Amino acid sequence: MNFFFMAWQYLKFRWLVSLLTIFGISTGVALVCAVLALRHESERALSRDAGLYDLVAGGKGSPLQLVLSSVYHLDSPTGNIPYKEYERIRSDPRVEWAAPVGLGDNYLGYRIIGTEKHFFDLPDREGNLFFELAEGDVFQDRFDVVLGSQVAQASGLEIGDSFFGTHGLIEVAGAEVHRDFPYRVSGILAPSGTAQDRAIFGTLKSVWEIHETEDLLHSAIQGSAIMADHKTRETTAILVRLETPGLRLWMADEIREGTDGIAAIPINEIMRFQQGILGPVQKILLAIAGVVVAVSCLTVLITLHQAAERRRRDIAILRSLGAYRREVATLVFSEGLLLTGGGILLGLLIGHGGMAIAVDYFREATGLILNPWRIPSDELYALLIMALSGALASTFPAISSYRRTPIDDLQLSE
Amino acid sequence: MIRLNKVSLHLGKTDHSLSVQFQLPAFEVTAGEIVALTGPSGCGKSTLLNLVSGLRIADKGEIIVDGVNLMKLSPAQLDRHRGTHCGMIFQTFHLLSPFTALENVLIGLRFSDRSQKYPKKRAIDVLERVGLGDRLHARPEELSVGQRQRIAIARALVGNAPILLADEPTGALDPRTGLEIFHLLKRIAEEDNRTLLLVTHDPSIAREMPNNFDCSELIKPKELTADEEVTGS
Repeated sequence: MNFFFMAWQYLKFRWLVSLLTIFGISTGVALVCAVLALRHESERALSRDAGLYDLVAGGKGSPLQLVLSSVYHLDSPTGNIPYKEYERIRSDPRVEWAAPVGLGDNYLGYRIIGTEKHFFDLPDREGNLFFELAEGDVFQDRFDVVLGSQVAQASGLEIGDSFFGTHGLIEVAGAEVHRDFPYRVSGILAPSGTAQDRAIFGTLKSVWEIHETEDLLHSAIQGSAIMADHKTRETTAILVRLETPGLRLWMADEIREGTDGIAAIPINEIMRFQQGILGPVQKILLAIAGVVVAVSCLTVLITLHQAAERRRRDIAILRSLGAYRREVATLVFSEGLLLTGGGILLGLLIGHGGMAIAVDYFREATGLILNPWRIPSDELYALLIMALSGALASTFPAISSYRRTPIDDLQLSE
Repeated sequence: MIRLNKVSLHLGKTDHSLSVQFQLPAFEVTAGEIVALTGPSGCGKSTLLNLVSGLRIADKGEIIVDGVNLMKLSPAQLDRHRGTHCGMIFQTFHLLSPFTALENVLIGLRFSDRSQKYPKKRAIDVLERVGLGDRLHARPEELSVGQRQRIAIARALVGNAPILLADEPTGALDPRTGLEIFHLLKRIAEEDNRTLLLVTHDPSIAREMPNNFDCSELIKPKELTADEEVTGS
């Protein structure tokens, strides 16, 4: 009969206290796991999107706002930039790929992105095509659209279906529906795990045409892709891939100096955003989780100490049967390990299980696809620290059991 | 086999603040001998058992068990001595509540005969011998007090300890059950040729024992040394 079996029997015998202790530990562990995994996954997902483009050019405003609106399809755009700037940038020999982004309308809250056919030729960093069509084809007609995978799933639209865009970037009750300009679904993208999954890609020409014929009032709404005549056509942003990422800063400076707009480097903006805003929030959450874990370890110590006190008689019996001091200490220590181990495993399950439940909500809210079951290395370190803390907490009652002399405790009643 | 020579042990103060000590000039029991330790409560019968088991360490004297002087053993060696030489039976059984009858006996075996190859078979055999073959998986609280004491006896026997130390094993039982338990214990000790030291208050049990040792005179007020007399301690 090994000590873990004996320890397990004792834990089962006082199951309520054991369960409450395990739940206490698991709460702290779940918090730590969820915060660390969320941080790791969101960084990963944000970097995946930001890494697609070397530069984003747009109207004057906040670089972060420009990146969020044109890369992540969040936030309002900064303003417009002349279409001729896009043509100039695209013809630059240092540019591998560039595409315009024209915003103005949405369907069920999903943004309709006006762009050009070659948008789908965007290569990933390994040189393969980033966009993969699950069904249909890219647009043949100026009112054809390609749906992101999440849009297709949420809307139920299929190839050949038609719909009307609604004015504005978010879904608002009573907003103007462009009933004269039906869009037709020509293709559906395969899931990419990026914000592109919750966008609708149409032609920039369609965006222009809709807004040319609508009331000029629309053009005053911030972020609309507007036109007066062909010469003054504008686009909301320009997404750029360079021949080499080393040219980012140089090109960004050139765009800033040579145009009326700004240029942002997405990966830099996102890192700044993470460090400046998300970082402190995550640190606070981690600190709270750390306190919870510390309290949980204290609970293990108190539980084991009380258990050892209640079991002084049992420990004395074991000693009277011939158990060595180190053996009774091992037994008490094993109980602590089982409590801590159980708490950590349950906490891991609750933390990541909670993330798995929240994944759909997170994807709908941000478009980021998180893998809830991936355990990042910093989480492994945190788990190791928590396990060591639990082991340390178990050491004190074990030492106390080691030091006791059995003769007095044998007189204790059951 | 068991020999105590000029053993003394300070026991602290009594309820009346009287400093007392256990003093035993000589005590000897041969292998296989069955002895009742008798005397009034608090006279030192249990202390004698605890000295033989190594649960208590004497201040002075010699305690020789199976040729080994317990006074010279380390704490770990005393634990080992208890496991291999002594099977202990207590008045209040001292069973472990979370475990079944079989598990209680297996735990006894775990710390006594550590090299046992077939522990489960051995434990079941012993439980059958004490008449509990049909209650192997019952927990102590599901059993009568007599059955609980049988588990305790099985636990003491399972490691083949040559010495059985029974501290008032019938004290918590009704007279009929007590007598049954006593006869069981005595029969097993005789059959196995084990040494049995049995503490009892029951004159009828003491009468049935082949040997009696009167412990009435073992606890005495402590003799003060010259220094202690001066300091008053």
